[in-house]
Amino acid sequence: MSPRSLSRISLLVFVALALAAVLAFAACKDDKKEGTTPPADQTPAGIDISGVPELQDGVLNVGSDIAYAPFEFYIEGTETEDGLDIDIAKAIAAELGVDIEFINTGFDGLIPALQSAEFDILVSAMTIRPDREDQIDFVPYITVGTGIVVPAGNPDNITGLDESLCGLTLAVQVATIQVTFLEDLNEGACADNNVDIVTFDTNPLAVEDLRTGGSDANFSDFPVAAEDAAQSDGELEVVEPQIDPEPYGIGVDKGSTELKGVIADALQAIRDSGEYDQILAKWELEGVALQ
Amino acid sequence: MDWLLAIRFDLDTVGDFLFDPIILRAMRQTLQIAALAMVLGVVLGVVLAVMRVSRNPIVSGLAGVYVWFWRATPVVLQLLIMYFGLRQLIEDDLFRDNWTRWRAAVITFGLNEAAYMAEIVRGGILSVESGQMDAAKSLGMTNLQAMRRVILPQALRVVVPPTGNELIAMLKNTSVAFAIGVVELMNAAKIQAAQSFKVMEMYTVAAFWYLVLVSIFSLLQAELERALTISERERPETLFSRALTLMGGRRGI
Repeated sequence: MSPRSLSRISLLVFVALALAAVLAFAACKDDKKEGTTPPADQTPAGIDISGVPELQDGVLNVGSDIAYAPFEFYIEGTETEDGLDIDIAKAIAAELGVDIEFINTGFDGLIPALQSAEFDILVSAMTIRPDREDQIDFVPYITVGTGIVVPAGNPDNITGLDESLCGLTLAVQVATIQVTFLEDLNEGACADNNVDIVTFDTNPLAVEDLRTGGSDANFSDFPVAAEDAAQSDGELEVVEPQIDPEPYGIGVDKGSTELKGVIADALQAIRDSGEYDQILAKWELEGVALQ
Repeated sequence: MDWLLAIRFDLDTVGDFLFDPIILRAMRQTLQIAALAMVLGVVLGVVLAVMRVSRNPIVSGLAGVYVWFWRATPVVLQLLIMYFGLRQLIEDDLFRDNWTRWRAAVITFGLNEAAYMAEIVRGGILSVESGQMDAAKSLGMTNLQAMRRVILPQALRVVVPPTGNELIAMLKNTSVAFAIGVVELMNAAKIQAAQSFKVMEMYTVAAFWYLVLVSIFSLLQAELERALTISERERPETLFSRALTLMGGRRGI
């Protein structure tokens, strides 16, 4: 190999490395959106956040599994988050006078990530359940039940979370309460003829499995189930009525008592101001309001 | 040592779940999918490699396109297309009943593996001196006969070590099949972790079994490589052969 071609190779290597470095740097810059406004001690609603260590950087970091319309999703063709949870989180951040940043995290990873402080709170259509309460604290913000999506005409005559599911294949998202419901069913009413529970990383994949006939029904939160049925061009329908409405909670790490306090205050403030009702009305989900 | 106390790790849970039927069933899935896909991958890979070195441009071109396609797309994408895509395309009930997620996984991993095996076997074929082919043909063998009786057996020694690597990689990559709802070792652990919140405990169980499986395969691979080495002096020592020596047994098998 001539020295000339060697130097050409080293030039190539140098250019490649430089390119990699520039790309990595660009990515870093993108990741770190520092809060532009320093936190004021007194926020618009008069909530004092000076004693909240998580908010001293001026940013409320929110973990969410952003694949669960209408609660959290990306607007089609963009990387912009939207949804009822997103709006509530934004309203809370505005109330606290801080910027907001969403961190998209798989649903099964949300609680562990919150515990290791990868974000400050989680808002991700998470039902408050005793086993989850052992792990983290919750501030309840809406009340939602679950729903079963079936092919149009309901060929298996599913009536709800009962014996009508025994022996069928159900597509669900991993780590959701729907998995827990079905496992309970398999120990109870369907003990002799178990429901075949097929789990997926995201709910859209579970719906796809139903659409392509890999499973007999999909089981998710009721507004999500209704949205999936509405978007299916008449291919799917949702089994009425919704099952067991239970409160959803904003998750806060067990150590973050001050943060939990100001989140609850901010939520109360947007409920008092009417902004909360406006958000629910925007998503046509007035029925999920906290009682 | 505050930071140590902060880690809520429950060793008892690891012990309880190590031999849990759910985990063991999932491990059987992992082994079955990896083994069957590997068989498919090796057989198809050899065929593709022989096609690839053919002088006929159409035959070698076809094999080239195959390798290009399956290596240029991520396996998770291939799984989604092969399972959801095909099921959406072909609405026939007979097809849908037979095209199960498990079969789709085995076949997709196998077809994917074939592309990599084709390149490995091609390397093996090219490592055999070209004079061998001429000699075989001068004895009246056809191209295919020479390939089967002379070239491929010699290529085997070059092909075995990377094939072992491929099998080990396959064993771990089967976890991607969760995209189409197949639950193997990694994802059984993931589901149990999500249900019990014993996240690190469950992943430790999975890690333990992966280590055991891959260790067994590595030992078997070493034995196979030893058996394929012709020269007594160059024959590598393996755990088994060392044990034999230590116990005063004969050297070599």
